[in-house]
Amino acid sequence: MKKLTALILSLLMAMSLAACGGSSDNKQESTTGAAAAEESDMAYVKDKGTLVVGITDFAPMDYKDDNGEWIGFDADMAKAFAESLGVDVEFVEIDWDNKALELEGKTIDCVWNGMTLTDEVTSAMDCSNAYCNNAQVVIVPADKADQYQDVNSLSDLTFAVEAGSAGEAEVKALELNYTPVKAQSDALMEVAAGTSDAAVIDSLMAAAMVGEGTGYTDLTYTVGLNSEEYGVGFRKGSDLAAALNDFFVASYADGTMQACAETYKVQAALIEQK
Amino acid sequence: MDLILEQMPIVVNALNVGFIQTLKLFFVTLIGALPLGLIISFGSMSRFKPLSYVTKFFVWIIRGTPLMIQLLIVYYFPGLVLHNPIWGGGETGRFLAASTAFVINYACYFSEIYRGGIQGVPVGQEEAGLVLGMTKSQIFFKVTLLQMIKRIVPPISNEIITLVKDTSLARIIALQEIIWAGQAFMKGSQGISGAIWPLFFTAVYYLIWNGILTVLLGRLEKKLDYFR
Repeated sequence: MKKLTALILSLLMAMSLAACGGSSDNKQESTTGAAAAEESDMAYVKDKGTLVVGITDFAPMDYKDDNGEWIGFDADMAKAFAESLGVDVEFVEIDWDNKALELEGKTIDCVWNGMTLTDEVTSAMDCSNAYCNNAQVVIVPADKADQYQDVNSLSDLTFAVEAGSAGEAEVKALELNYTPVKAQSDALMEVAAGTSDAAVIDSLMAAAMVGEGTGYTDLTYTVGLNSEEYGVGFRKGSDLAAALNDFFVASYADGTMQACAETYKVQAALIEQK
Repeated sequence: MDLILEQMPIVVNALNVGFIQTLKLFFVTLIGALPLGLIISFGSMSRFKPLSYVTKFFVWIIRGTPLMIQLLIVYYFPGLVLHNPIWGGGETGRFLAASTAFVINYACYFSEIYRGGIQGVPVGQEEAGLVLGMTKSQIFFKVTLLQMIKRIVPPISNEIITLVKDTSLARIIALQEIIWAGQAFMKGSQGISGAIWPLFFTAVYYLIWNGILTVLLGRLEKKLDYFR
């Protein structure tokens, strides 16, 4: 009895090991297969019938309406783009730190979520043309805002910034003291809790989250540090980036893109597509 | 304060949805890992040495690496390396991947607790059983098993309570459990943005659920008291 159990268990183990071995063999074959497939990411998506869009809950770009439907400037444009390809669209909330992993792992097909085109992003993904402007702004407690109206006044402050964000790049360039935190919202919490003097976040986000009628009534934003641009990220070598550029040009020309931007009040930040 | 009261219904609703994911992951992990742990413990106690070595090696790998890395590997490895994203991008796939990683991880911890429980039963009892002409499986099910269960309840309870909180690690592959749901309000979700309190409020859910579990497991321990 015991020998039999031992035999069965060892067989199972051997099989699972063999399965591991087998899959690594497959890997070599499928890399060549995948290389061929990767020549047309568009064909892959069309074949699948769905464009899976990686997003975070980020008003006004991607957020849920009262019925739980994803809306926003990015969400609506993504729906229109998927329709132009003749596929369905599926929105998936991802962990922003893992966006490149999600793309390469093919669990999503694009990142379309007010993504700043930094060097890190453009080296990890194939990106569309920039479609929206944004700036990085300094967040300070409202009662101290008067003292910090220009860049020179910032030198004695400690900053909280999102790790890997455009804001971090700015404070680094200005040689300010800063602590990297996990998300822009964490940076705001640091300022609210007094553990950092100031934070640097996106102006679009600052407009939505700071000041009267938000959770951070005691905070305000002062200096704008740089301007930056938003783009859509695809897998490396994907032909969808070019397809999206064409789609942007067409929808800018017929005015649908501007109309969509006006719906979500981002028309001022929109970049002309040509 | 008024603002918090105003936000309360929306937040509690969202946290409930997240907590259901947490509970689902918790129960699936227990249901999968409790029996799997027993099988692994048999493997590592086997007198058939190759099986015992392979099992111990496997347990070493799983217990020796962070669960967070295991989650990332289980979820992303198929797509990244094998170019076959078996889990897909949707919520179900993420849940299945998280469940798989949790079941394997917890089964390995449970297996060591089982091993301690089984080996803690005096050898004399097994010998007495053999003298009485019982088979090995009879001895295990009729003599050892219940005593083992009694011995392992306290350490297993400990692991179960840890599991409740460990489920929050699944947010690394974007499983929308309760911490994720709470954090969403810091960034902005459902018209509430920049609210910090929902994240801290999630602790109340964990605390209450662990309170219930502590009482239930305490009762179980009492029930098994008749062995001593």
